[in-house]
Amino acid sequence: MTVAADRLPSLDRRFGWAMTAPGLLALSLVVLFPLFFAIFTSGFEYTLLHRKYDTFVWLDNYRSIWSEGYLGQSLWVTTTFVVAVVLLEFLIGFTVALMLNAVQRFKDVYYLILLMPLLINPVVVGLIWRMFLHPELGIVNYVLSLLHLGPVNWLGDVRVAFWTVVLVDIWHQVSFMIVLLLAGLASLPREPYEAARMDGASIVQAFFYVTLPLMRPVIVVTLLIRMIFAVKTFDLIFVMTRGGPGTSTDLISYFIYRSAFYGLDLGKASAISVVLLLVVLALTGYLYRYMRSLA
Amino acid sequence: MADIKLEHISKSYPPDVKAVDDVSLHIRDGEFMILLGPSGCGKSTTLRMIAGLESITAGDLYLSGKRANDVDPRDRDLAFVFQNYALYPHMTVQANLSFGLRLRQTPAADIERRVREAAEMLGIGALLDRKPGALSGGQRQRVALGRALVRQPAAFLLDEPLSNLDAKLRAGMRTELVKLHRKLGQTIVHVTHDQVEAMTMGERICIMKDGRIVQVGAPLEVYRNPADTFVASFLATPPMNLLPARVEEEDGGGLAVVHAALRLPVAEAYWAAYAPYRDRPVILGIRPEDMYASAVPGGVAVDLRIVAVEALGPETILVTEFPGGAEVSSRLDRAFVGQAGSPQRLYVVPEQMQLFDPQTTLSIPRSRADLRPDHRSAQLRASPGATLAG
Repeated sequence: MTVAADRLPSLDRRFGWAMTAPGLLALSLVVLFPLFFAIFTSGFEYTLLHRKYDTFVWLDNYRSIWSEGYLGQSLWVTTTFVVAVVLLEFLIGFTVALMLNAVQRFKDVYYLILLMPLLINPVVVGLIWRMFLHPELGIVNYVLSLLHLGPVNWLGDVRVAFWTVVLVDIWHQVSFMIVLLLAGLASLPREPYEAARMDGASIVQAFFYVTLPLMRPVIVVTLLIRMIFAVKTFDLIFVMTRGGPGTSTDLISYFIYRSAFYGLDLGKASAISVVLLLVVLALTGYLYRYMRSLA
Repeated sequence: MADIKLEHISKSYPPDVKAVDDVSLHIRDGEFMILLGPSGCGKSTTLRMIAGLESITAGDLYLSGKRANDVDPRDRDLAFVFQNYALYPHMTVQANLSFGLRLRQTPAADIERRVREAAEMLGIGALLDRKPGALSGGQRQRVALGRALVRQPAAFLLDEPLSNLDAKLRAGMRTELVKLHRKLGQTIVHVTHDQVEAMTMGERICIMKDGRIVQVGAPLEVYRNPADTFVASFLATPPMNLLPARVEEEDGGGLAVVHAALRLPVAEAYWAAYAPYRDRPVILGIRPEDMYASAVPGGVAVDLRIVAVEALGPETILVTEFPGGAEVSSRLDRAFVGQAGSPQRLYVVPEQMQLFDPQTTLSIPRSRADLRPDHRSAQLRASPGATLAG
């Protein structure tokens, strides 16, 4: 069978659509449907006690989540959490990555050890640390008592709980930063460093004038990806603090969960979800544009 | 201004790879020195040790008389031009050029002037605001050179800076570099695997092989008087023809070097030198340009069969074979016409042959005077065959 040359591209396109159709269909069922369903629900007064789409309230749900004031607190906690986690993980991660990049021997061993937390399910991480941090039975307070310190109520004290969660998240996720930054460092060309040495740069100068500028794309992408994931943190909070004590660790994703399954107000929970979606979309959009500008 | 002295320098990598092995070399102040050799011969490693980018395992390095083994690269006052230029990709050309000066806290006006001068000299004045990514290979190469120039260092170390350029650009840059050297009078150490670069640019060539120096000398001296078969076959394209031969006694009492049908009588003056090799195998070396298509005074005829005729334009490379099978190349006039497969008579002037010891591969000196390099060049220039090439 011969095909006219000018028809080939259109045939190609049709074949492509045919091959991707099942995947696209599955994706739209599991991603797009819940998404639009949430947007749809956010426009109704829909609670788990009254599961009927009979009262369309326009933007009332959005108005009420603002006016009730709880969202503001949750947004503040979330922002602090994201900034703290991403910044600290970046600083620690970059330092460790720089060190690992310079290591000659046993690199694989260090790498494996550092990667382990990342391989553990977040729920398991939460459970392990909840046990470690138990005020009376936990190993952390025991070790502190040997040093005549503590005891600290890690997850029960309003002033401490937030930073405890931040620390556990760092323990869990910092290897993500290390892996990405180390890959970036390892792929940097060696020649500019040698050129800088010949040009008279010290190690510190080489870091600031060569490493940092060359690493910029990797750093930006790593920070953005980590931010997107940090904004959505849920499991750790669910297992360790349930948003408490008070609202001190009430991250937005847990706030949504509470609104839906404690407050039973699915309409309101959907409205907050949409707000969260917009935030994540904005970050992702920026990431996408940045990565395209690199290419 | 710097003279660079290497004394018994070695570089080994664990477990026991010897990249550079007992290299001693004195590069004089203001000299244009070429380190030449095939890839992996240790020439780049040697250069990097001079620069301080590579530590020295054994031996001593002296820069302007001071031992510099442990001196930090930044304190050696040397500029290095890398094979792939190694420009800072995130900086503009201007910033690339001035980086070294800024690090040394040179006054801004000074930086500005030196960058402008270097940019003018290299013809990159219009590119100062561009980043390396937006430059062609030749332009990057110039920027890399400019970065070295603005520093006004004691010496320039060039690591195959022309190898990534296309043939035309490379020929142009060769001339530029030689001009630059004449203008600045600075010491230049230039590493290359390209024998044309070596022959045309260097004041002296240092030929390396397997981490060792094989021969050091002026380009023509090395060309005319190769120390061993490696140098003989490495310099020039096509290289010197090397044929297995024997030194035999002639009926009249003299000596002759014999390969298949080719029988080259040895001049009486050299009998003493070649006598120890009587009835023993030697390697006979004949440069392609020392084989002639028409009779020359003193020439010995030999009948060969044409394998290939490569007409290059300005000249013709003729590949022929002996009945025994050994192939030889000859560099003939462009007017030469021949057919592959047909017989061809060529002429060889016995004085132009060179002999090598097959065991050591070293050149066999013909007389004491032969050891003095300039003597042989002069002698060759005076020989009748040299003026009758082709």
